[in-house]
Amino acid sequence: MSDRLRIALLLAPALAVIGLLFGGGLVIAVMRSFNWMPVIGLTEPNLDAYRNVLSDRDFLQSFLLSFHISFTSTLISAVIAIAAALLLRKTFVGRQTINFLFQLNLTVPHIVGAIGILYLFSQSGSFARLGHAVGMIDKPGDFPALVFDPWAIGIILQYVWKEVPFIGVIVLAQMQALGTDYESVARSLGASRWQAFRHVLLPLILPGVLSASVIVFAFTFGAYEIPALLGASHPQALPVLAYKSYTDVDLASRPEAMAMAVIIAFLSGLMIWIYLRATRAAVRG
Amino acid sequence: MNRLMFAALLATSALGSPVLADTADGAALNASSWDQIVAQAKGGEVNWFMWGGADNINAYVKDYVGGILKDQYDITLNQVPLTDTVEAVNIVLGEKEAGNLDAGSVDMIWINGENFRTMKQGSLAYCGYTAVLPNNALINWDNPAIANDFGVPVEGCEVPWSRAQFAFAYDSAKIDKPPQSIPELLDWIKANPGQFTYPAPPDFTGSVFIRHVVYYAAGGVDSLMGDFDQARYDAAAAKTWAILNEIEPFLWREGATYPTSITQLNELFANGEVALNFNYEPSQFGIGVDSGQYPATVRSYGLSDGTIGNTNYTIIPFNSPHKAAALVLQNVLLDAKVQLEKAKPNVWGTTPGIDMDRAPADVLAEFEALPSHPSVVPHAELKKHSLPELQAAWISAIEKGWLENVGK
Repeated sequence: MSDRLRIALLLAPALAVIGLLFGGGLVIAVMRSFNWMPVIGLTEPNLDAYRNVLSDRDFLQSFLLSFHISFTSTLISAVIAIAAALLLRKTFVGRQTINFLFQLNLTVPHIVGAIGILYLFSQSGSFARLGHAVGMIDKPGDFPALVFDPWAIGIILQYVWKEVPFIGVIVLAQMQALGTDYESVARSLGASRWQAFRHVLLPLILPGVLSASVIVFAFTFGAYEIPALLGASHPQALPVLAYKSYTDVDLASRPEAMAMAVIIAFLSGLMIWIYLRATRAAVRG
Repeated sequence: MNRLMFAALLATSALGSPVLADTADGAALNASSWDQIVAQAKGGEVNWFMWGGADNINAYVKDYVGGILKDQYDITLNQVPLTDTVEAVNIVLGEKEAGNLDAGSVDMIWINGENFRTMKQGSLAYCGYTAVLPNNALINWDNPAIANDFGVPVEGCEVPWSRAQFAFAYDSAKIDKPPQSIPELLDWIKANPGQFTYPAPPDFTGSVFIRHVVYYAAGGVDSLMGDFDQARYDAAAAKTWAILNEIEPFLWREGATYPTSITQLNELFANGEVALNFNYEPSQFGIGVDSGQYPATVRSYGLSDGTIGNTNYTIIPFNSPHKAAALVLQNVLLDAKVQLEKAKPNVWGTTPGIDMDRAPADVLAEFEALPSHPSVVPHAELKKHSLPELQAAWISAIEKGWLENVGK
């Protein structure tokens, strides 16, 4: 048996699952998005669904909201994660305990985190009650709206809480593999601490930060459950809007739901591509 | 278990009797006797997809109804909980598209209104079997509120399960006299800013609340009955959006956002963020008090200008492979005793879908003597001012119109 055949055979189970379930689903979604759905009498493929979706102001608002959520969550998570990794790579008493606590949320499911955010930050949540107890607020409405709010603060809080350890663990592993030799050399040659970080350490860890950020960005852009639980009623994040359209009782709106899903998939892919290109250029430069 | 069933299958097919557990052919069942259907259903299973958001309802279905099916008919009931009934409709639709015409995964759905219309629109329902069910005699098909599901004729494609009527709720420890009609409610909202909100459509309950305002704006429900009419809709809708936009600044969060589900509104009410709540199923307030979610001082009530009532049903998809078992399940659900159990306030407290006057005398006597929960408005009281549901096309138009004119 040749090596190529062996590799193909070994990969076959994984590829079959991806190809059949994911690829098959994608093909059906694309077909439906072109208004091809014989079961309800749609047999003339056309671009109506895309035209309707792209000319809808709701869709644009939802896109901007989803972009805002993903971009802000990823940026804040990456900055905090790098800072945390810088602290955690030092040797200090209790470092192992702190390190363990830092990674603890990795095991907590997103939905559980979202419920936690609700209990803590809603206008009748723990912090609001605490504020009431010490006399800072009179009634629930006086507490700032942090969940179901137009700026998606609750959603971003949840993602940052969950993604900081994710990026942090990757960055920390990279820093530990690199050691401190490069920075020591830079410092001995007269670089300030900031310069050593900015021009020596950061370019070295950037590939890890970037690949982790891309995962976070793509995940938060396509995720349904957190914006569904913590989001405002309007505008809604793109996946929530697509699902709402998919569950519309009127069968005629199914093609639009599929068009939205296809657009989400396309945009995620496109943004990741741009992100990767831009950052690779930045690393080289 | 599977091996046993396989052995039984082999044994029965060897004897030349019909193959167990595949009763996808509805037309054959419609021509069968009830005893034949029960015999065919024996030893099989039935997958019932239903809204699963209330523990007491799930317990009644799984333990009580499931127990009867197991003990008396040797049928296994698999309850599949949903957050929205349309998910089950989507499964059946997807199966039809994929060419799965006699081996679907859904055997029964708890359904009504727009979803029933979709099932009919896509020819997704198994029809014409009601005469086969012995307990069909308990259903009053002459009642237009039973024979029409949100204005869509049932035509033997589903059977009623329960009836429900919308009610409001408040905490009597905080409010002396809650608003008694829609105009009073609108004034109350303005006088009590931040204390009221309603879930945004397509949430089922929020959509019903909005219809109450539409009825008020249209000067009564009469002009909205019958088939959808654009001119009559436009007139009523314009007034409705004006009213709802006028009260928006006085809602929770100044109307900048709305709850997206009734569950979210229930939580706002339980936490005291809003002072009024409502539900299509008033018994939920009693259940909420008993479970400790609401204070014991919560009371529910109807409006003097009426609240909307509806009937909910069970439907069998056209491609269910376990139609015989599903029919047995429907017949059990329609049984007078089983309906009585469902009406008990500590079980569920919902109104029977059958005509209890046709029930055996002892069951009827027990039904009439049922105690009521102090937090649940008695059905007899609600029934005095009852409003009909609109046809599904009106409801879709209102939901879309709300998103367009108020929700943004």
